[in-house]
Amino acid sequence: MEVIRLDQVSLWRRTQEEFSYDLKKTLLSLIEGKYRQPAKKLVLDQINLVIEKGEKIGIIGANGSGKSTLLKIICGILQPTSGKVRVFGQIAPLIELGGGFDPEISVMDNIMLYGVLLGFSRNEMKQRAYAILEFAELQDYQLVPVKGLSSGMVARLGFAIATEVKPDILILDEVLSVGDENFKNKSQQRIENFWNIDATVLVVSHDLNFIKQSCKKVIWMEKGAIRFVGDGDEAIKLYLNTN
Amino acid sequence: MTLSIQKSLTWLQVRRYWELLHVLVMRNLKVRYRGSLLGVYWSLLNPLIMTALYSAIFGTTFASYYGNSILNYVLAAFTALVVINFFSASTSQALSSVVGNGALLNKIRLPVSVFPVSMIVANIFQFAVGAFPLLAAITLINSKNLVNVLALLFPFLSLVLVCTGIGFLVSALYVFFRDLPYFYELVIFILWITSPVFYPAAIVPSQVKPFLALNPLSPIIESLRQITLSGNLPDFSLIWGALLSGIIILSLGWVCFNMWRHKFMDLL
Repeated sequence: MEVIRLDQVSLWRRTQEEFSYDLKKTLLSLIEGKYRQPAKKLVLDQINLVIEKGEKIGIIGANGSGKSTLLKIICGILQPTSGKVRVFGQIAPLIELGGGFDPEISVMDNIMLYGVLLGFSRNEMKQRAYAILEFAELQDYQLVPVKGLSSGMVARLGFAIATEVKPDILILDEVLSVGDENFKNKSQQRIENFWNIDATVLVVSHDLNFIKQSCKKVIWMEKGAIRFVGDGDEAIKLYLNTN
Repeated sequence: MTLSIQKSLTWLQVRRYWELLHVLVMRNLKVRYRGSLLGVYWSLLNPLIMTALYSAIFGTTFASYYGNSILNYVLAAFTALVVINFFSASTSQALSSVVGNGALLNKIRLPVSVFPVSMIVANIFQFAVGAFPLLAAITLINSKNLVNVLALLFPFLSLVLVCTGIGFLVSALYVFFRDLPYFYELVIFILWITSPVFYPAAIVPSQVKPFLALNPLSPIIESLRQITLSGNLPDFSLIWGALLSGIIILSLGWVCFNMWRHKFMDLL
């Protein structure tokens, strides 16, 4: 059964250099008659992709080749300029949340906030909150504002919330490794658990060994296009030969 | 069959929107008051001090326009200041709400409009606890009629509609123009001066008056004053005027927000 299908998906985005973030500059350039439409760049070029249920897929490629953009298109964060994206099932992005916490409110409130942002209801989060605190080893810090935690604790909390999900499709942009040795082992195990259940997993990583070991199918991207889909060893060989 | 799927889908979306709104509003309020409910009353300090200041400086001069009563001037100034304060606080907070959550929008799929709306809703809560009881008391004393107290909800509803519309508009524009807060301060000042807050509308020259009518806040202030201060039953033509201004601004803001929304992600 297919869970993700992309048909001829292309995406044009405004280029970074052309960002005109400024009302003053825009108005003045209009008056001087120098105004130009912001330039656009082709970021994804006619992507065709079908992913079956339960597949573990690695995506490799140089920086700026469109890996993360492809994931954003699949998540629905970006809309394609042309082409069609179809996804069946609930998608969860496993993302680094540490930076996004609100430092002023308590650990408990942050758990509720992020849980709901990730797509849970408040009731579900109330039931899961204790398990999250336990996994992050922060039971004693429930009511402490997040600004009172050490950076390692914040990272642990972020990981614990993000991995509470049991999605149909899991998206990993760079593998997370957080905390001290003890917590690293625990989080490693949790990620491996996702591999054992029949969730579909898409992972972007520069850690080629990790990709080789854990993904049956590997996609190699270059300049916004898919260059190769298939066996991991072959994809990595092709990727390394172009460098 | 497809219809029922669509229906349940939109129901799910509505529920998700509601849940998101709930946690975001709670976050806004908690950050603002850090657990002390009294903090809400802190927000009343600004209009009260301004009212005292205006009354001390302009009160005696303008009292003749308010039935030779400084008290009437004080109440008129206060009602208008409450409106202006709500407007400037809620729209300024809405302005930065989309850009401020840009990192989040890049990681999770969220309905963008929930961010400006959550800012407006947080301000509604603050108003309901802080300024509204005061306005209700003034109305009850002046009119001795509960109908007037209930009618207060209409100008306030119009105010919320106007603020939501402007909130959509400025939060979208801020994505494209990061120097907008600087200009928006000027816009708020213009709206503030052109709504008859601390002067009677009668002193404005007749050539200038039509321009003042363009201010979307003036019909709201007018209607609010009629209900709280005149002692007469609510005037429905004023209420309709205020609501109309609210509906127009909200539709305008919503249309612009939706038209530009697909361009946001390239700039966040």
